[in-house]
Amino acid sequence: MSRRAELLAPAGGFDSLMAAIQGGADAVYFGVEQLNMRARATMNFTTEDLPKIAAIANEHKIKTYLTLNTTVYDHDLALVKRILQSAKDAGITAVIASDQAVIASARSIDFTVHISTQVNITNIETIKFYALFADVMVLSRELSLRQMKAICDAIEQEQIKGPSGALIRIEVFAHGALCMAISGKCYLSLHTHNASANRGACVQNCRRRYSVTDLEEGHELEIDNEYIMSAKDLCTLPFLDQLLQTGVLVMKIEGRGKGADYVKTVTQCYREAIDAYYSGCFDQEQVASWMERLESVFNRGFWSGYYLGQHLGEWTDAPGSKATQKKIYIGKGNHYYPKIGIAEFDIEAYPLQVGDKVMITGPTTGVVETVIESLHVNDGGAADIAQKGDRCAFPLPVPVRNSDKLYKIVNV
Amino acid sequence: MPLIIHQREKCIGCNYCVEIAPEQWRMSKKDGKSVLLGSVNKKGFWSLKISDIQAEANEKAALSCPVKVIQVR
Repeated sequence: MSRRAELLAPAGGFDSLMAAIQGGADAVYFGVEQLNMRARATMNFTTEDLPKIAAIANEHKIKTYLTLNTTVYDHDLALVKRILQSAKDAGITAVIASDQAVIASARSIDFTVHISTQVNITNIETIKFYALFADVMVLSRELSLRQMKAICDAIEQEQIKGPSGALIRIEVFAHGALCMAISGKCYLSLHTHNASANRGACVQNCRRRYSVTDLEEGHELEIDNEYIMSAKDLCTLPFLDQLLQTGVLVMKIEGRGKGADYVKTVTQCYREAIDAYYSGCFDQEQVASWMERLESVFNRGFWSGYYLGQHLGEWTDAPGSKATQKKIYIGKGNHYYPKIGIAEFDIEAYPLQVGDKVMITGPTTGVVETVIESLHVNDGGAADIAQKGDRCAFPLPVPVRNSDKLYKIVNV
Repeated sequence: MPLIIHQREKCIGCNYCVEIAPEQWRMSKKDGKSVLLGSVNKKGFWSLKISDIQAEANEKAALSCPVKVIQVR
């Protein structure tokens, strides 16, 4: 195989961006301002952040993809142009677009375009059409491996090339939340809350429990699983070898709304799995250990999506995450003594004890995990426990900053 | 007199307030967010006093805002 698949991770903020880099991502995707599918997320970047994102990415030699893939109205057009120009000037690699206005605007300034899953590409003729504008295309999440392979083979055979002159690369979702609607084109949240998923404002009401009532006689029907619309999360790791054999070249991890710890863990697992595949040592024993790690972070239970073809939808039976571990906020960073390698934290919420497994996250730090082996509390010297209000210190090989947060990791 | 408060920064530009209360709202072609016409900005909170007659439409606009950045009180 001449071309290697790229691992694409979500960056909802600077902490997730660092976590994606630490996890070994080849590229990250992110949104700025309100025109992306996570417009509701409070941690969206602004246009002013673009140069800093590009600088961090260049330093770590990863690519950067800007999502600008919502429904676009007339009043958005000036903002679209401004975002695209700023992204190009900052050196962002490409834009992930779905609306034709965005695609046309980006091409008019010679900015590389990727076609979003929102476009719902399901056949080779559509690939040929968008090849006039784009170099990478995300397939519809509803295709099977067989269908993906047919498309990838046809690109190779028919030598379908994008504006860059290189063969079209196919991207697919490898891991993360799946929604019941076809590739995110859902009306439910708009219908009930006036909050359009297609403007990035989905309230995720499909994730709730529902009952069915007979309006004539008022009988409420029992449904085995009340989470009738909430799909389990996609996880392709157990059959990643088959997925890579189709010829897809970009593996995307969903989750711009999720925490930095999630991004780092999932990216790491897929990084190791992809590398194992290319070095010929991908096996089920490793899959089991990766799955254990994936289950430790946010998930609604896993299934193989529509990729293996034979399953009907699988629905979750829980309102939120089934993660085997959770994080509890403890306090914030205060100081780091680089010569002796000691990190100092202010305890703001719950006590911290020797033996605790902790995680530190922050916009520069990314995600760092460690186990507390010794603890100094206030000026009282070594202690076993630090309480709320205390200032404590423990050895840590990497620097911490004031913007860092300290979490305790516990089993659920 | 009723008062409209708009936390403009969090607007996602869905256009519903303009549809429901066009007398007070316009979409900005500059940044794609809605503008409360004639309002005064204080630390990101844009406010405007309106008449009782105008309140009803704006209450509906507040109710329909998907990110809840409009308040009428």
